[in-house]
Amino acid sequence: MPNLNINGRNMSVEAASDTPLLWVIREQLQMTGTKFGCGAGLCGACTVHLNGEAVRSCQTSLADAVGKKITTIEGLSAKGEHPLQKAWVAEQVPQCGYCQSGQIMQAAALLSKNTNPTKEEVVAHMDGNLCRCMTYSRIQKAIMRAASDMRTASATGSERRAT
Amino acid sequence: MNKHVKNLAPETTDLSRRSFLVGTAATGLVLGYAGSGIDQALAAPAPANFEPSVWYAIAPDGLVTVTCGKADMGQHVASTMAQIVAEELGANWKDMRVQLASNDPKFNDPVLGAQITGGSWSTMMNFDAMSRAGAAGRIALTEAAAASMGVPAGELVVRDSKISHPKSKKSMSFAEVVKSGKATKTFTADDLKAIKLKSPDQYTMIGVSVPQLDIPLKVNGTAKYGIDVMLPGMVYGALVTPPVRYGATVKSVDDSAAKKVPGFIKAVTLDDKTTTTTGWVVAVANTYANAKKAAAALKIDYDGGPNAKLSSESLLTEAKRLQGLSDSGQFFVKDGDPNAAFGTAAKVLEAEYTTNINIHAPMEPMNATAEFKGDILHIYSGNQFATRSGAIAAGAAGIDPKFVVMHQMWLGGGFGRRLDADMMVPAVQAAKAVGKPVKVIYTRENDMTMDFSRPLTYQKVKAGVDGDGKLVALSHDVVSAWPTQRWGIPDFLSPSVDKKGPLDAFTVNGSDFFYTVPNHYVRAIKNEMAHNATPSGQLRSVAPGWTFWAVESMVDEIAHATGKDPALLRVELLDGKGKNDGGAQRLRNTLLAAMGLAGYGTKKLPKGEGMGVACVSSQERATASWTACVAHVAVAPSGEVTVKKLTVATDVGTQVNPDGIRAQVEGAALWGMSLALFEKATLKDGGIEQTNFDSYTPLRMSQLPEVAVNVIANGEKATGVGEPAVTVVAPAIGNAVFNAVGARVRGLPITAEAVKAAMKA
Repeated sequence: MPNLNINGRNMSVEAASDTPLLWVIREQLQMTGTKFGCGAGLCGACTVHLNGEAVRSCQTSLADAVGKKITTIEGLSAKGEHPLQKAWVAEQVPQCGYCQSGQIMQAAALLSKNTNPTKEEVVAHMDGNLCRCMTYSRIQKAIMRAASDMRTASATGSERRAT
Repeated sequence: MNKHVKNLAPETTDLSRRSFLVGTAATGLVLGYAGSGIDQALAAPAPANFEPSVWYAIAPDGLVTVTCGKADMGQHVASTMAQIVAEELGANWKDMRVQLASNDPKFNDPVLGAQITGGSWSTMMNFDAMSRAGAAGRIALTEAAAASMGVPAGELVVRDSKISHPKSKKSMSFAEVVKSGKATKTFTADDLKAIKLKSPDQYTMIGVSVPQLDIPLKVNGTAKYGIDVMLPGMVYGALVTPPVRYGATVKSVDDSAAKKVPGFIKAVTLDDKTTTTTGWVVAVANTYANAKKAAAALKIDYDGGPNAKLSSESLLTEAKRLQGLSDSGQFFVKDGDPNAAFGTAAKVLEAEYTTNINIHAPMEPMNATAEFKGDILHIYSGNQFATRSGAIAAGAAGIDPKFVVMHQMWLGGGFGRRLDADMMVPAVQAAKAVGKPVKVIYTRENDMTMDFSRPLTYQKVKAGVDGDGKLVALSHDVVSAWPTQRWGIPDFLSPSVDKKGPLDAFTVNGSDFFYTVPNHYVRAIKNEMAHNATPSGQLRSVAPGWTFWAVESMVDEIAHATGKDPALLRVELLDGKGKNDGGAQRLRNTLLAAMGLAGYGTKKLPKGEGMGVACVSSQERATASWTACVAHVAVAPSGEVTVKKLTVATDVGTQVNPDGIRAQVEGAALWGMSLALFEKATLKDGGIEQTNFDSYTPLRMSQLPEVAVNVIANGEKATGVGEPAVTVVAPAIGNAVFNAVGARVRGLPITAEAVKAAMKA
């Protein structure tokens, strides 16, 4: 039985190695925050992190995920307090909310490398994630807010370390 | 206007014998309508003509849980209902909670008499009932607190979930009153009606952008949608749908290869007596991945049926043929005599406007989970029309609808798609066939090719202008499939003015606009061929999404033909005479607000850029939210249109949650833009050709224009915001393209090719 490292825990699963990671996460591990949208890598609703990179779990086989660190929306932060999640609430981003786990995971991969993105970088990074409610402008605002919060936190953290 | 229904289902009449109840049950204070058991025991003698409302309950810890009978598909309607209750109840927002109602008729809409969410109706139709429910709770709690404190109830002040007596400085929290068990009061229908509600100047909650209660669940993955339902022993169903949208039959199913797929249980060919689906097969297996593998391995032989050769072109040709017949269709509007007026008009304009098939494609593909438990069929699904969908599920199971319990979930997008009940049929019949709970999930390909789409429409508009440039006559023929007639509920149809039988007003709403035109005909013509080949549904904004495309484009054409400014011509036509008094003035003011916000006519735009206006009374004459748009576009020599800015003003009367309204209006405007420029589906050989987001392409972030929204709240009654802004954008963009480069495009979506062709013409 393959072992998956997901949200910091090792879990054994039972599925054929070509099974899309999406369905293993949703059905076997019953973590339903990761969503099925198109099954073809065209909408981004199923986005998770594989070793910190945003990937489409509907296009990732179980075999490809074994031995890597998988992070889902449930594991992005212990209490749902990632700066992006807080910003998503502050900007009141979600409408139906179905795509938002994927949007947040996609955005988190960007901010983990770049906490000062330009608007163009945000659009380029996020353009593969569809939102049928068309909450795009709030998504942009929330990403900028979270980036700003992360820069402030990191500046404060550096000052503390410096003193 | 449409006459909306009451008493869709016979059981709704039982509600007339129910009484509004305020009483303490074991779990806390319950407010709502007595149905059975402990509630019945507390109910008062039967009041007559009682209108239903939703429940809410206050627990001994003071938490107020509102049960929302409307489908929440992202419009935050559950939160809105809670906000209206909280205003009159006097509760603190942090104490408010929401839950979603089952299909129990006690949760029916108080105006519609059924559980249906659409039409941008929810806030306007529930505002009064929710307000009175909230006020009744406050009165009951106040009287109980007065008795406990030994002070006159009239001296108490209710605020932030607390009841205070300023003179004695005594106070009790809602929680304490509930715990005291003394809050028992029953309200008859007349008592409820007699409650004096707050006047808008007394509001402390309505008009405030409190945080939406469902949002925290939607940023951490815990919100449960239909697709997330997990039941013990549940197995999965994957669909095989035929190549033809409607009318195919299954001749044979060979499951020999499917049997080799691990976990495969059974292939179930649907026997759908509700005629919702045709030729569908479900492959059932232990996991969805295996069900999909099994579905792919099935070898199915079809008879394509009567629609197998039809295409978008055939539907359009048929629409034109029907429009050309003098006796087809029924009249929706018949004022004066346009044909006589055309004879004496100085100028007559004629134009054809079309829209292509459009697909809902909510991000959560259609799904349903069915479980038979004893005599009861349990359905878990996010659905907009529990009253009808429960009946369809019952029909698929061959049982009485009263044995169906619909468990409502959050909807991963609705947009009208989840008014339909097709997903119930495979889930129910698969669960019955395998004797286990079954969750059926559509692939995106199933979802797109089997959509109950916005129909292909064809409209012919003829306008007559007199020597002074005054619009004196307009005739407007609208040819389409009839989505609402398909429901088979006569009460949702409207009588025709020429008494030729009922028509589907949800194909012509909007054409009965607020412009003053002395001679005005609107004819609703059913395209039977399209109706059969592409069973259509209600797609966000429904008829006004195409009728205003035609009307607002034609008004622009008239302006140019008569040398008038298109916006000022509209102001002139909105003179508020006769039946248009009131509405016309509100729409005129809204248009002026949008023009002001956009800087219309105040700046010289660069070459290739232009501004266009449109204004609408969507969704229906009687339920209008007055909405206007100024679109600013840039058109490249290739014909490619870039929307630089959409400025939308909307008069909603009263706003419950201003931030929520802005979110809806912005989303709706972008839907309108997406339909105007990016979304097109086509029928070929009886099937929808687009199967996923590579070929059906809604707006993405990189295509986002600047959007400015101006919400006008003038103290009139609250109206709806989910749809109207969809309908104003396409004509505004089309008119802006004309303003920019002189190209008139009369078909949606507006493509670069069409613009380029019109530029040359």
